[in-house]
Amino acid sequence: MDYTFHWRPVTKAIPDLLDAALLTLEAATLSMVIGIVLGMGLALLRLHGNRPLYIFATVWIEIARNTPALLQLFFFGFGLGAFGWHLSPFLIVLCGLSFNNAGYLAENFRGGFQAIPDTQIKAARCLGLTATQTYLRIVIPQVFRLVYHPMTNQLVWAVLMSSLGMLVGFRELSGETQFLASNTFRLFEFFLATAIIYYLLVKVVLGTSHLLSRKLFRY
Amino acid sequence: MKTFTKQVMSAAMVAAIALGYGAAAQADKLDDVIDEGKLRCGVVLDFPPIGYRDANNKPAGFDVEYCQDLAAALDVDAEILPVTWAERLPSIVNNRADVVFGGTSDSLQRAKTVGFSIPYAIYYAQAIVRKDSGIKSFEDMKGKRVAAAVGTVPEKEFLKLAKEWGTEDLYQGYQSENEVFLAVAQGKADAGITTNTAVKPVAQQFDSLAAGPRMPWTTDYTSVVGPRKDQGWLNYLNLFVTHQVRSGRYQELWGKYVGGGAPELRIPNVFY
Amino acid sequence: MSSDASAIQFFSGFQVNDLWFLAEAAGGTLLISAIAISVGTFFGCLFGWALTASRWTSLTLGSVLDVFRSVPLIIQLLLFFNFFPIIGLPIDPFAAGSIVLIFYTSALVAQVARGGIEAVPASMRRASRSLGMTYWQDMRYVVWPVGLRAVLPAWAGVALGVLKDSALVSVLGYLELLRASQILITRTQEPFIILSIVGLFYFALSYPISKTTAKLEQRWQYD
Repeated sequence: MDYTFHWRPVTKAIPDLLDAALLTLEAATLSMVIGIVLGMGLALLRLHGNRPLYIFATVWIEIARNTPALLQLFFFGFGLGAFGWHLSPFLIVLCGLSFNNAGYLAENFRGGFQAIPDTQIKAARCLGLTATQTYLRIVIPQVFRLVYHPMTNQLVWAVLMSSLGMLVGFRELSGETQFLASNTFRLFEFFLATAIIYYLLVKVVLGTSHLLSRKLFRY
Repeated sequence: MKTFTKQVMSAAMVAAIALGYGAAAQADKLDDVIDEGKLRCGVVLDFPPIGYRDANNKPAGFDVEYCQDLAAALDVDAEILPVTWAERLPSIVNNRADVVFGGTSDSLQRAKTVGFSIPYAIYYAQAIVRKDSGIKSFEDMKGKRVAAAVGTVPEKEFLKLAKEWGTEDLYQGYQSENEVFLAVAQGKADAGITTNTAVKPVAQQFDSLAAGPRMPWTTDYTSVVGPRKDQGWLNYLNLFVTHQVRSGRYQELWGKYVGGGAPELRIPNVFY
Repeated sequence: MSSDASAIQFFSGFQVNDLWFLAEAAGGTLLISAIAISVGTFFGCLFGWALTASRWTSLTLGSVLDVFRSVPLIIQLLLFFNFFPIIGLPIDPFAAGSIVLIFYTSALVAQVARGGIEAVPASMRRASRSLGMTYWQDMRYVVWPVGLRAVLPAWAGVALGVLKDSALVSVLGYLELLRASQILITRTQEPFIILSIVGLFYFALSYPISKTTAKLEQRWQYD
């Protein structure tokens, strides 16, 4: 074996890597929040929207689900750039992940909405709740409970996929790793350290989600 | 956390070493290449006219022909391995390529990791700018959005200066030189740092772009890259470079791809 | 400074035969995904069964497979691709990509397969054993058909995911759709058109599969 492992550049860079990991979490969480709002909207459009709105939602969902996330990111980068719309690398990742999250979550939400019996809505309206109140107080809380698990998976997915940021110039955990590795040529060492950090990040996300679910869905 | 990472790392190292002993004893790189009958040549292909793809998407350019010449000299087949700027040195370190032609500046920092031949081509860093950016001199680039490829000398040098200016945030790092051109052409960046040889063809391609100022750092003496410990192989590469010049091939290829007289590969006032 | 250099074209517009180039690259995408999905599904089913077989395998194998689901695919690819040359076994992008995708797929399928096995009610399996079926007969004639129906949509989701995730093998330099798009963008400088065409290619590969499984799922529901 000709290769000599050098760990010093990596251990020196651990604070930088942890900072970048925070950026990863930030991008993933934000894209999740935006994705939930948009996904909820898309699901409602598919269920109750008029024809053009239904088509709009369907096209969004099918594109998000049937093309690679990386291609979607490139679209928000150089694709939009062709029209003179320039997003920063952070925004490229945020838009790309939110677009994708919304497409996947919309289908989850749609299943959730359909699982709520009609009779509940009728009962709520009989009790004098407005349509909005019925949705906000009766339907949506139940839908959230139904899709909590898929949503957690989607968040994990967002954390993992934010690594594509390195290909569009965003210095999140992977991008920072690539930057440092290309300056020290220690690709293997750096990416191994990064893999460990991702593993721990995912565990933190899953653990937090588990604790949260216990608080939220006690009854 | 720290000891945990260390433990995992040492475990991975033990596994790597154990597996490594399974591999055959290393012969000299030169022997390996001749034995294999194949020269694995890392070339950067988004670096016109030094490395690019022709209309049939086949690799072409000055570096590609140099690789083929080297393979011909060794009487082996050339296998062109397209690499990005950031990958080209790791590809030597990780033994994915035997040699890299890719406008690689022979910095002392890099020489700690990879081996360099004598210079085989000389470039200088130059900006490609948007015509409407108003950039005339290097000083004009202060406060402008500047792009370069990740893992290149221009990136390193510019970031040093940008740090002094406090404009690091305006720097954009891209995966390839081509993305740098595209970013400037689309208006994502005001200026991109590249090499003098690329400036002309790129400025010709895009109406919105013009040749920009020369960068204030030193001339780029670029070398053929090989594994650091393989002195026999590096000697061979040195000899190859001098033969390319003596046979007139250097001038011929430079004229074909870049145009004009090829720069003299001598460093003034220095024994080489 | 005029010379013949100006006669060479370093950039050229999008041509019809570039579509052929993309079609070939789509073949590359299909090939590597087909390998990953078929071999990965085989191992995934095996692992899925092992996960339900005993507590011990569930714990050890489970935590190994968990790693593949907790580290970004792109990092797995880069690590694997750079590790083999280090130990003196250079590996080409196709082999490296296939192996990593197989691991990745089997880790995902294992979870699906375990879900399928667990979806078969214990009472049903006890009934089949009481009727004199052996363990393997029970697996083959009861668990397999019932479990398969329960998790086919989930499996299809994994397969489609792998088809799209195979785009990441482009970072290793394997010529598939996404890599081809980058090559063409470099040469033509027309990102929007090329990204759109490549998007259509992916859509054409993925959409029929997702629609077929959705139909199958519906039909089985009323069976």
